[in-house]
Amino acid sequence: MIPILSLVLATLLAGTAVTFLAGSRARWAALGTALAFLAEVGFLFLGYPGWPGYNGAMVPGFADQESYAWIHLYWMHVNYTVGVDGISLVLILLTAILQIATVVYSWTESKRPAAYFGLVTLTCLGSFGVFVALDVLLFFLFWEAVLIPMFFLIGYWGGPRRRYAAIKFFVYTHVASIVMLVGLLALVFYSGATSFDFASVYAAARGLSPVVQVFLFLPLLFGFAVKFPVVPFHTWLPDAHVEAPTGGSVLLAGLLLKLGGYGLIRWAVEVLPVGFAHVRPIVFVLAFVSILWGSVLALSQRDLKRMVAYSSINHMGIVLLAIGLGSSLGLLAAVLLMFAHGIVSALLFMSAGTVHHTFGTRDIPSVGGITPTTPALSTMMMTGSLASLGLPALISFPAEFVALLATWEALGYLVLLPLAVLVVTAGFYLWMMQRMLFGPPRGIPADAHDVPTHEGVAMGLLVALSVLFGVLPGLLVNVIANSPVKGFPGT
Amino acid sequence: MDALAMAAPFAPELVLLAAALLVFLLDVLGVRHLEALGAIGTAATGTSLLLVIADLGFGPLGALRTLGASHLDAVPAPGTAPLYAFSSFGLVFQGLFLLAAFLVSLASLSRPSHERGAAVFFGLLLLATLGMLLVAIASDLIFLLLAIELTSIASYILVGYTRRDPRSLEAAMKFYIIGALSSTLSFFGASLLFGAYGTTNLYAIRASAGAVGYPVLALLGFGFLLAGLAFKTTLVPFHAWAVDVYDGAPSDVSAFLAGGTKKIGVFAFFLVFLGPVLYLRGTGGANPFAGPPFDIGPVVQVTLAVVAVLTMTVGNVLALLQREMKRMLAYSSISQAGYILIGVTIGTAPALAGATLQVLAHVLMKSGAFLVVAAVAGLGVGPLIDDWRGLGARRPALSVAFALMLLSLAGVPLTVGFVSKFVLFSAAVQAQGLFVWLAVAGLLNSALSVFYYGRVLKAIFFDPATPTPAPSGAAMGAAGPPPLGAGGIGYARAAAIGLIAVAIVALGLYPQPVLGAIQSAATHFVAGGA
Repeated sequence: MIPILSLVLATLLAGTAVTFLAGSRARWAALGTALAFLAEVGFLFLGYPGWPGYNGAMVPGFADQESYAWIHLYWMHVNYTVGVDGISLVLILLTAILQIATVVYSWTESKRPAAYFGLVTLTCLGSFGVFVALDVLLFFLFWEAVLIPMFFLIGYWGGPRRRYAAIKFFVYTHVASIVMLVGLLALVFYSGATSFDFASVYAAARGLSPVVQVFLFLPLLFGFAVKFPVVPFHTWLPDAHVEAPTGGSVLLAGLLLKLGGYGLIRWAVEVLPVGFAHVRPIVFVLAFVSILWGSVLALSQRDLKRMVAYSSINHMGIVLLAIGLGSSLGLLAAVLLMFAHGIVSALLFMSAGTVHHTFGTRDIPSVGGITPTTPALSTMMMTGSLASLGLPALISFPAEFVALLATWEALGYLVLLPLAVLVVTAGFYLWMMQRMLFGPPRGIPADAHDVPTHEGVAMGLLVALSVLFGVLPGLLVNVIANSPVKGFPGT
Repeated sequence: MDALAMAAPFAPELVLLAAALLVFLLDVLGVRHLEALGAIGTAATGTSLLLVIADLGFGPLGALRTLGASHLDAVPAPGTAPLYAFSSFGLVFQGLFLLAAFLVSLASLSRPSHERGAAVFFGLLLLATLGMLLVAIASDLIFLLLAIELTSIASYILVGYTRRDPRSLEAAMKFYIIGALSSTLSFFGASLLFGAYGTTNLYAIRASAGAVGYPVLALLGFGFLLAGLAFKTTLVPFHAWAVDVYDGAPSDVSAFLAGGTKKIGVFAFFLVFLGPVLYLRGTGGANPFAGPPFDIGPVVQVTLAVVAVLTMTVGNVLALLQREMKRMLAYSSISQAGYILIGVTIGTAPALAGATLQVLAHVLMKSGAFLVVAAVAGLGVGPLIDDWRGLGARRPALSVAFALMLLSLAGVPLTVGFVSKFVLFSAAVQAQGLFVWLAVAGLLNSALSVFYYGRVLKAIFFDPATPTPAPSGAAMGAAGPPPLGAGGIGYARAAAIGLIAVAIVALGLYPQPVLGAIQSAATHFVAGGA
């Protein structure tokens, strides 16, 4: 068997090193790395069974699993263990897509390009690692490996308030990481697991009493909720997203938020199902508040980028709700939503970036009627907005549909709550489009021209993917639904 | 032949002694080139380091061992009172001491060659290292304290060896007075123990304590010894001198003090408090502490635990408030001593291994950080953290290396600092009971420490450079592109810093070879060696 996951890691690692050293040719190195990564992900998909139907059980069975000894303490072993299932596979695909899109979009980055593209590649390396790690320590290692390059991306390449935003981002996520680490270590030690491997922790955690499970679940929930972000812990997000360079925002919204969702599913919900069942009310409240608060704040923003940032809180709230349902349908919805949000928010952040440097401002009321001047930008921006508000035939629709279906299945008429908020979500996007894209031209510089080629290519790619997966959601659904298990007997 | 066989185990020590004498001799003969003397110092410490690694039987070097395997971890016959004993745990510490000395010596090859006193610097560096090696083989209190004295006296002079800088002289005086006080306390403690048990040999003290328990005289003795060693190890409340000394000393010397000599206190703690006092912890069975007048094991442990938490917290909080780079590093060094003391407090083999790994990490991180400070000072950058602004753009390689050291100090994953804290804290959790709170305190402190390291990183990488009117600040200002490469800080120093940076990441990614050696040594130590 080919150790494909280690191969991908090696590719990304070598790619990062080469990119850092490539000087002015760094963008080519980064693009090459990203394409190689995508090719390998394609190979992974080819080897993954697509159809047999979702069995609903959350069994920790993973494809392409590899395990090597890493750190041997006296009483327990830490291993380098990696593997994928349908959930991680879909998110890995998202990573590869966004890496290519980010590199292409930032093609003309002139401020220390080697470092910029190197950090972008490193961020994707970390995300990939988080999605494949099946060992507590390895997981945490990659988790932190995402944080540091993002800190530098915001702090060095960001907007006017970048230093404040970078420090705030670092403080929030670092505190969350520490709490999460404490939770994970406590989980390992109290469950009596004999190794840090997922399988070992998973098996040992079965034996924990409900009270202990609840107490272990809470720090994990907090750690992942900050990353999500969930409403009381969300204030780092608008600053970080707005101040980050466009490429950084894309990775932040597209990938980093997904780490929170993935971590919650893999390391908290799957491992501590009983504890999870007891704190579900808290999860629901957090989710509803996030959905509502995110959309209300988005509605009141003047800054396009800030509006998109708040809409991320709104969308990730739906993800949290879907996870909170605790059903296999909900889980499916959550992963689909994360994939969709990754693509769509990336597209919208790119639009915001292009609007900013084409018109010199992102202030929604001061720019209007841009469609005649920049038809291509306007089209792609509209696609992104429509996708985000859940128009059928675009990528978010199947995801939100499944999410609402699962909510109905689990909560009955409470589904009206998120449904009502979706109207607000539609509202702020439509209002933004009405003001910026249509109507009489306003605040358009004389030298404004349509979206530059490289940015157009990146956004076009994402538009194409939102249509593709909007029309054929089954491609992803079957992979996710088939989630656990390749080569496991009896499933 | 017999004499040779007797001397062979001391090969690492003899190499240092011979090199020190050679350096002083050359000085008398008029050879005062910094490069020549420095080369001797570097070669001697390097050779000695290889010999120690060979004695540990590490990899292919094992073939070169001069110490017979039967001498290693040999338990002395009952009734004998040897002055020294070779334990694999001691050898590990010898290796750590020599690593610090080697790195500082290598970097110091790049000191300005017109500087006077090269012979003093390298000669005393070798002598101090010799004293440290002797600490690691001591099994008698007097031998131990004399070895500590050898190191201390050499380092008092090292702190003030430039003789020009009044700050440096003040630091040397302060160091000397505090050091004398600490020695007095230690020797007083040793003499009280002699009064209590009729011996200064650690094996004999352990045997007597097992038989007659802990009379008041012995408790006083251990108390004074604790205070004396706490000075050396910069534990709160005996820490205040360290900041002024590390700050005032030339940065290369600070690197040696913080990375090297301070650790002899740590090893002495292991010897004295795990040997006679907490001996047999973890082996289960009979409680060796129960005896007249009362069971002192828990008392000692609680005392050490309180000191450890205080040291971590005070060091970190005060580091947060510092505006000068060296003072910040000095306080962070104090807090790191607190982490290390967690290992002594718990006293199980895993905890010992964690503490030792933390010592290794600290040797790399702290020596490295002070070496970078010396390099940056050589570029004309002032002492304040704010003066480092914009360094990332001017000196990317140096800044990245420094960033790695700080991240490792903060315990960020992918660095050796994370692995060492992980091993240490998980040992605390595994020891159960109240020790879990030591792990919690350590974790909270690591989280806190991120803020002051992060502030430095922010200054280096994000803040724009503020042109300072430094005398040798030709590199600064708007004129010309920022200089790159090793030029300006010296190739030897660049090599030392690069070596450290690589080691930090390499050990962070794959610590197993070193960790394995440390774990087996710690197991031997707890199981019965000295």
